[in-house]
Amino acid sequence: MNLISGVDITSGALTAQKIRLDIVAQNIANAQTTRTPEGGPYQRKIISFENELVKRAGGASLETVNVASITNDKSPGQAVYNPQHPDAGPDGTVMMPNVNLAFEMVDLITASRAYEANLSVVKNARTLAMKALEIGK
Amino acid sequence: MIDPIFQSGNYQLARTLLDAAALRQEAIASNIANAETPGYRRLDLAPDFAAQLKSRCLAGELSSGAGKLQPTLAQDPNARSIRPDGNSVEIEKELLSMNKNAVEYQFLADVVSGNIKQLKMAITGRAS
Repeated sequence: MNLISGVDITSGALTAQKIRLDIVAQNIANAQTTRTPEGGPYQRKIISFENELVKRAGGASLETVNVASITNDKSPGQAVYNPQHPDAGPDGTVMMPNVNLAFEMVDLITASRAYEANLSVVKNARTLAMKALEIGK
Repeated sequence: MIDPIFQSGNYQLARTLLDAAALRQEAIASNIANAETPGYRRLDLAPDFAAQLKSRCLAGELSSGAGKLQPTLAQDPNARSIRPDGNSVEIEKELLSMNKNAVEYQFLADVVSGNIKQLKMAITGRAS
């Protein structure tokens, strides 16, 4: 029994959503990167979550969220005709990263809203714990 | 003389419901953490807990046997999935029930507190 109930579940979700925000930041920062150590343009990163059993309480299993993997989005980017570009091919086109700013912004909002929701659980659990400590006063 | 206060129906009922509220808070934390997990079904207190508690209240055996009644969690059978990924969590509903649960918890904590204050007053003869 935890004094502040539920925070061990919420903390996993908070970490996962924060890493998701980091990935969005990386994707947006590299929206124009045409040269990477692996060669070729930057490929947008996709994050996937998995759930993990924290404990069993009251006959049901309580699960938290973890980052399962961060993978590359293999879809091709746009080919832009720009012969002056140092990374342009022989036909004068440059392969741009497959980052779609609209997608990234949607992901950004979703992640921050999920983070806020989990944070409000922590605040609420804290209020409950404080109230429990006041019993008998 | 001391026994009746801690054995009284109100006190025992408030205690059992406090346990239930603390457990529900954990269930809601799990629901919100998994709001985007495909196939996740929301957890809530098992519906038979309310039924059992009601029947014990009506039978008047709360003061003797309420300690044995343990709240349990179960997947909410009434929650329908409105999303294609099979997840049945609606974040607004969870936040609302979390707030409702907090108010309930505070009320119950006050009830327990009041009972203990009564006992204190009986012992010392002074209010507060």
